[in-house]
Amino acid sequence: MKPLKLLAMFVIPMGLIIAAVPQNKTNPYKLTADELLSEVNSRNQYLAPDVVADMIIKKDPSLRLIDVRSQEEYEKFSLPGAINIPIANLLSPDYTDILNQDTKMNVFYSNGTLTANEAWMITRQLGYNNNYVLEGGLNYWFENILNPKQPSSTSPDEEFAKYDFRKSAGQALGGGGLSVQASDNQAEAAAKPAVKPAAKKKKAAGGC
Amino acid sequence: MGPLAPNEIISENTNFLLAFFIGIAFGWVLESSGFSSSRKLAGIFYGYDAVVLKVFFTGAITAMLGLLFMSLFGWIDLDLVYVNPTYLTSAIIGGVIMGAGFIMGGFCPGTSFCGAAIGKIDAMVFIVGLFIGVYGFAFTYPWWEKMYMAKYLGEPKISTTLGMSDGMFGLLLIIVALGMFFVAEWAEKKFPREAY
Repeated sequence: MKPLKLLAMFVIPMGLIIAAVPQNKTNPYKLTADELLSEVNSRNQYLAPDVVADMIIKKDPSLRLIDVRSQEEYEKFSLPGAINIPIANLLSPDYTDILNQDTKMNVFYSNGTLTANEAWMITRQLGYNNNYVLEGGLNYWFENILNPKQPSSTSPDEEFAKYDFRKSAGQALGGGGLSVQASDNQAEAAAKPAVKPAAKKKKAAGGC
Repeated sequence: MGPLAPNEIISENTNFLLAFFIGIAFGWVLESSGFSSSRKLAGIFYGYDAVVLKVFFTGAITAMLGLLFMSLFGWIDLDLVYVNPTYLTSAIIGGVIMGAGFIMGGFCPGTSFCGAAIGKIDAMVFIVGLFIGVYGFAFTYPWWEKMYMAKYLGEPKISTTLGMSDGMFGLLLIIVALGMFFVAEWAEKKFPREAY
């Protein structure tokens, strides 16, 4: 049986080799260190708070806010509609469907950006897409969205436009307690498009 | 690096294009191995011709060795390779139906298209039967659903079930396959058949 012998002479040594060598368990991550570094440098994972505030107010169905702080902190305060995935439980199989998907924009937030960034990096390493980080975290959110400071009278119009948007957004999102009359003297500035268009969303999606 | 499509090294469309060419090559190899003859195919059940066993098992162990070595070299991430989930009940029942159809019809689904492509009428009749079966199952699916979904086992690998490494199971499979080839060739001599 010549062909059979020939086959055996080839496959048996190959089988012996593959049985003898240890299994390759490396490379569980999908991004190389270089790729991840370039994504970190591009800062494309950050979503500006104004964009997020606008999406919340407009009830954008594609937005999903994910609070990566602990449950106590989440219960004390959370952004409207946010769900809580404490970073310690990030890899729990219960959350895989939420983090690894193609339809929604997941926005991680924490007090600063550190924990949210950690969550983003881990999910990015796992090859998940559509996860972002709220730029500046909740601290920045409090200072600038819920309690925006009025820009000085010499500021460019854009500053006033931003301020006006933030003021109204802050009120809509239950912050600040700002007086309504303040907006009157900036009426012409407010006529400009207050919110940066959602173009940012597309840009951020270019990360992968 | 691999698998190419899930890692987005090639697009989904390129993937389909490659599948198209690989499919043509597959059909060509099947035809040139004599898989378009239902008598030759059915020979495996009577012992006079074991070409089915030999071609498919050679294909299986070649692909297995290729994947294991590529995984060893870090060329492919086997965790990303799609594995059909196992539904034990439907796997057994489906296997029995498939085997019975194979003996009676003399083709399996792939080879029936191979035979039809070179104009075999029995292969065309087989394909008609195949579509009756496909549509029959699809339209009566609610009746079978419970049985179809029964005994879901996830994506078990025989190697992990037996508690050995993939490579060790590979070696075992190679030895078993060679043993089967040997038995098959003995059977071919034992039950010879003239001109089929």
